[in-house]
Amino acid sequence: MHAGENLERLMARYQQGDFTAATVLINCMSPRLQRFFLAKSMSRSEADDLLQETWLQIHRVRHTYRSGEPALPWFYAIARHVRIDHYRKSIRASAGERELEELSKTASAASHRAGELEELLAPLSEGQREVIAMLKVEGMSLEEVARATSCSVGSVKQKVHRAYKKLRETIGPLGERKWRGGELA
Amino acid sequence: MKDQEIDKALKEAAQTPQNVDPLLIERIRASIKPLSRPVRPLPPVWLMGLELVSISAAVSLAGAARSGFFGIAKMNVLERSLVFPALGILACLAAVSFVHQMIPASRIRLSPGGLLALSSIATLALFADLFRDYHVEHFFSAGIVCLLTGLLHAIPAGLLSWLMLRRGFAVNPASAGLVAGTLGGLAGVGLLELHCPNFQAAHILVWHTAVLPLSAALGSLLGWTVRMRARSSDR
Repeated sequence: MHAGENLERLMARYQQGDFTAATVLINCMSPRLQRFFLAKSMSRSEADDLLQETWLQIHRVRHTYRSGEPALPWFYAIARHVRIDHYRKSIRASAGERELEELSKTASAASHRAGELEELLAPLSEGQREVIAMLKVEGMSLEEVARATSCSVGSVKQKVHRAYKKLRETIGPLGERKWRGGELA
Repeated sequence: MKDQEIDKALKEAAQTPQNVDPLLIERIRASIKPLSRPVRPLPPVWLMGLELVSISAAVSLAGAARSGFFGIAKMNVLERSLVFPALGILACLAAVSFVHQMIPASRIRLSPGGLLALSSIATLALFADLFRDYHVEHFFSAGIVCLLTGLLHAIPAGLLSWLMLRRGFAVNPASAGLVAGTLGGLAGVGLLELHCPNFQAAHILVWHTAVLPLSAALGSLLGWTVRMRARSSDR
């Protein structure tokens, strides 16, 4: 089943207590949400934890989805909320021991990352990576990204513009050779 | 590297299949299954907005009924016909904005900061235009009383609004708190206009209008605290 075309209908059925619709939604959306988390330079296990937490949150607040509204930004808005919470919690938890763990943590995260996409987005800031992942990777519209990130379309455009500028600068001749040479595909 | 090439690289990277562990999918299904029951979607935005405006109006009117309608009694027809409709329009904007803050992925037309700025500037401009008594008497003593009275009504209006929308889900509680505070602040300003007969420009411009940013700041702080507490309890 294609996720995009029936997402809104499936959400309506999910709200009515249809577990089959919930299962289809889980199967459709989980890979996308996981890729969204992985695009933030997270380890695979962290992304799995967040995916599970996101689904619990989605289930708790499923009544806030409004029929007729696009469902994709609704999913991403909740995933984003869970990720920001996780990020802030982890900052607080690791504040005291960060210096000691920094090296091993970075190495471990790098080895578990999903690959090319994360490598490509690595030079970008959190906000820019998030917007590029939604817009260019997930194929959401500017309006949908604006809804998911609770900001204006203008602000999304600005982030995309800055992200592209940074990508052009950082990828440079080295990346040009690599991606033009088809290594990415 | 051209933008088209970056686009292509991103698209190619995105095509890499993302496989989620089937055991994880099963775990998610299993955690949801026992809790699957029909839920009632939220009411329409306009209805929730109307309820929020009614709460704010009720708090203002109840406060004025308790302390006296001296302000509105002293106003002329022009002042009455401009001040209260303007506050009503701003309250409607704040109420709809608050409803949107409590629904994930709502279209945000006016940011919380923008709403506060608009409300404060519009109120200041209106008061500056209407009230032109430039005498200054008992500036601090009378002003502090009005500020506290306004805040004492703004806080319950904001809290009641938050309680009314507790079924919603604020992805950013600090922003939602700021909007609830702005709405409460408008209720506080409304009460002061109904009650306070001191029409000195300096008094109204400083002390009455100050209720708005202070109430919004309190609301934002409360929202931030709620989120911090939720995070602490999750750990």
